[in-house]
Amino acid sequence: MSAALLAEWTKLRTLASTAWLLLGTAVATIGVGVAVVAGTHQSAGSGVVDTTALALTGIDLGQAVVVVLAVLAVAEEYGTGMVRTTFAAMPRRIIVLAAKATTVAALTAVAGAVAVAGSLLAGRAALPAGSGSVLGAITHGPALRAATGSVVYLVLVALLALGIATAVRDTAVSIGVVLAVLYLPTLLAQAVSDPLRRHVEQLAPMTAGLGIRATTNLSALPISPWEGIGVVAAWAAGALVLAGLLLRHRDP
Amino acid sequence: MTQPTTERTETVTEQRIEVSGLRKRFGATQALDGMSFTVSPGRVTGFVGPNGAGKSTTIRVILGLDTPDEGRALVGGVPYRRLRRPLRHVGALVDAAALQPSRTGRNHLLWLARSQRLPVRRIDEVIELVGLAGAARRKAGGFSLGMRQRLGIAAAMLGDPPVVILDEPFNGMDPEGIIWIRRFLRSLAAEGRVVLVSSHLMGELQGTADQVVVVGRGRVVADAPVDELVAAESGGRVRLRTAEPAEAAAALRRDGLAATVAARDTVTVTGADAQRIVAVLARSGVPFAEVTSQRASLEDVYLRLTSGESEYRAVLDREQDR
Repeated sequence: MSAALLAEWTKLRTLASTAWLLLGTAVATIGVGVAVVAGTHQSAGSGVVDTTALALTGIDLGQAVVVVLAVLAVAEEYGTGMVRTTFAAMPRRIIVLAAKATTVAALTAVAGAVAVAGSLLAGRAALPAGSGSVLGAITHGPALRAATGSVVYLVLVALLALGIATAVRDTAVSIGVVLAVLYLPTLLAQAVSDPLRRHVEQLAPMTAGLGIRATTNLSALPISPWEGIGVVAAWAAGALVLAGLLLRHRDP
Repeated sequence: MTQPTTERTETVTEQRIEVSGLRKRFGATQALDGMSFTVSPGRVTGFVGPNGAGKSTTIRVILGLDTPDEGRALVGGVPYRRLRRPLRHVGALVDAAALQPSRTGRNHLLWLARSQRLPVRRIDEVIELVGLAGAARRKAGGFSLGMRQRLGIAAAMLGDPPVVILDEPFNGMDPEGIIWIRRFLRSLAAEGRVVLVSSHLMGELQGTADQVVVVGRGRVVADAPVDELVAAESGGRVRLRTAEPAEAAAALRRDGLAATVAARDTVTVTGADAQRIVAVLARSGVPFAEVTSQRASLEDVYLRLTSGESEYRAVLDREQDR
């Protein structure tokens, strides 16, 4: 396993796109977060605003970059034919999948941690002094949960993308499928009314998982924060199991 | 170079490739239809046949990439997928393009070395071996096909394997590269390795391969030493140039040889060597200008073997009779 891990890490490390995508994840997440925090303050005026959740709005976009990173790690190998070199060198395909999942998850965790911490810090800076809203310290209960949970969410999205890409084996189609799985139910939920809407939001990975960002008014969420993360984890696990089964039974 | 290991899956007793009864169907196409042959060490075995004859599929099955519907392939008595660090046992060039173009040649070898726990110094050794030292730090996407082939061969040699399988290594090679591969293949065989090299062009293997496995439509059409195949094809045919073809043919026939006048100044004789023909003609006092043994090329053999289903059969039967 460790040789496979080292090999997959070397592969990711030696592609220029990896570093750019990791940087892109952080920049997209932080950038959107800052913009939203600054904009909301000007228009909202008063009331209780969940500034932590607001500052983490950028994950809506940052996750798309994570998806590209994870898909490329697998689908590009099919696109170029390198997958045959990979499986000739490492015939135990499940080990290869596990090694890819581990490296992509680790890199996503690092980029996600930078993105989340950066968003919260930048969000605090973007809040004008004396505005009444306070962005809680990351070490404080709900904010800590929102921060760590958001990183976990990004890692799970990466694993979901990795699993789908292994099943689909084409870069463009994989990215399309993963983004559809993430964003389509969110849009769909807007078009239907309760209770269907609530069910969609409870089952779809993005609407269920991103409740983890909330620090106030948790009862308004479709599903509790950690249960929502559980839903995303189930999606990721399902995609990886499907990927593993297909790897075993399909010729590369 | 390869260190001894305690893993049971790595105990390779006898270095051979054994392919037996492979069948595989892709939709309506029977890609492999009872493919069976054995590749022994110490010689270059050519694996030839027209495009679509099943060469690449067979190689993918040997490497555990494709699963056959029936039959099995063993390397050193073990299915490839059971090998723990396979590149230390089997080095293969499957497809020269089987790499990511945005990675440098050297980094392609680096991840492969990591996957087998091979020392980094080995990378520079194989880069030197294939003559890529000047280009290894450039992105592989900018490589010519010939350079990609060399990189693929470097990857195959990374683990210093006793078994080497190269699928169409001559593709895209310039004349210098072709000469290089031929020498390289000879040296691998001389080192006692098992060497299987596929090609759809027989001529590339003339003078390189000791043994050829000729395939067509998913099965083996002939499997014999090159010398034997060529001799059988030539069939002791001699061409005689003479100003008096009729007299020459008559004299030879009187001596029990099958001689026919082929052109105004040419007689062809079958079933005799040049020496005997010269002797007969000298005895009969028939003048002649030139006596040439017609030696078939490997290409002639191949073309006849793969020209039609009915013709395969004859050779197949002959092979089985031996």
